[in-house]
Amino acid sequence: MALLERDPEAPLSWEGTMPVTNRYTFGQAGERFFRLLKDEGRIYGSRCDQCNLTYVPATSFCERCLSKLEQWIDVGTQGEVHTFTILATNYDGTPSDVPEIIVLVKLGDGGLIHKLSAVDPEQLCIGMQVEAVIKPDNERTGSILDIEYFRPV
Amino acid sequence: MSELLRDLPGRSLSEKEFEEGKILFNFDELHGNFAWDTGVAVGSYLAGLKRGVILGAHCTTCRKTVVPPRMVCEWCYRPMNEIVVLQDTGTVNTFSICYVTWDVQRIQEAEIPAVIEIDGASPLHGIMHLLGEVDADKVHIGMRVKAVWKPADERQGAITDICYFKPIEEV
Repeated sequence: MALLERDPEAPLSWEGTMPVTNRYTFGQAGERFFRLLKDEGRIYGSRCDQCNLTYVPATSFCERCLSKLEQWIDVGTQGEVHTFTILATNYDGTPSDVPEIIVLVKLGDGGLIHKLSAVDPEQLCIGMQVEAVIKPDNERTGSILDIEYFRPV
Repeated sequence: MSELLRDLPGRSLSEKEFEEGKILFNFDELHGNFAWDTGVAVGSYLAGLKRGVILGAHCTTCRKTVVPPRMVCEWCYRPMNEIVVLQDTGTVNTFSICYVTWDVQRIQEAEIPAVIEIDGASPLHGIMHLLGEVDADKVHIGMRVKAVWKPADERQGAITDICYFKPIEEV
């Protein structure tokens, strides 16, 4: 007689969690980029005159000619929607009440991925002019979320 | 190349720099939640611990009793025949004296994990648990030990329902 029946009082499963945490530092250029965002509330790019390119977010080196980039410029807070996606699902897989719009906003020759708010999804289109809404300086922490969201100009 | 390496501006960071806010960072955590199906054999074992008994599985073909219980005999590959109740006493098969915890913190009082051959199971069959109420210096292989159980109302069907094993007073 084989053992096939589970003890009715047996726990069905053993539950647990694996404590995995991480701390990501932004690197040389990233540190400066976020420090400037925190302190000045401005978005900076780095300029390569040789290649006529402005990297946003700012980088230490030009990806094309590999020269060191010393010239940092304020690229302003306005850009155009390069691409977007509409999220109707939360991180845990449940449907979200208010769909979230994620956009890649073109700034200089680069861009930032962020939330787009205060927009009618019907009007949303590629090429739309948007601007960053930056938190007041006492609330900024040196994170990409110091930009609250982008909104149409 | 070595010249260039010397010029690279990178360096290691100290915890102090993070505490003082000199370095910006992004903190995140993965939610590695899991639920492990206990199955028939180990499910019964955990239910047994809740009742205050240690269970094993017996194969009549091989006349072997293993602990924790398994569904299949690892010698003849036939299904195990029955779940049997074992003693809550045993013999230390091997042990270790640890002055560090699992996350590498130093501790003054040693933790003594040990493999304990449970009485009633076949020779050399046992479970891993902690020893308690004993001097680290006095622990030896072959030492007779007995389980110290949590109070019945605190047991939850887990291996921690046994607090630790303590030496049996040798009369």
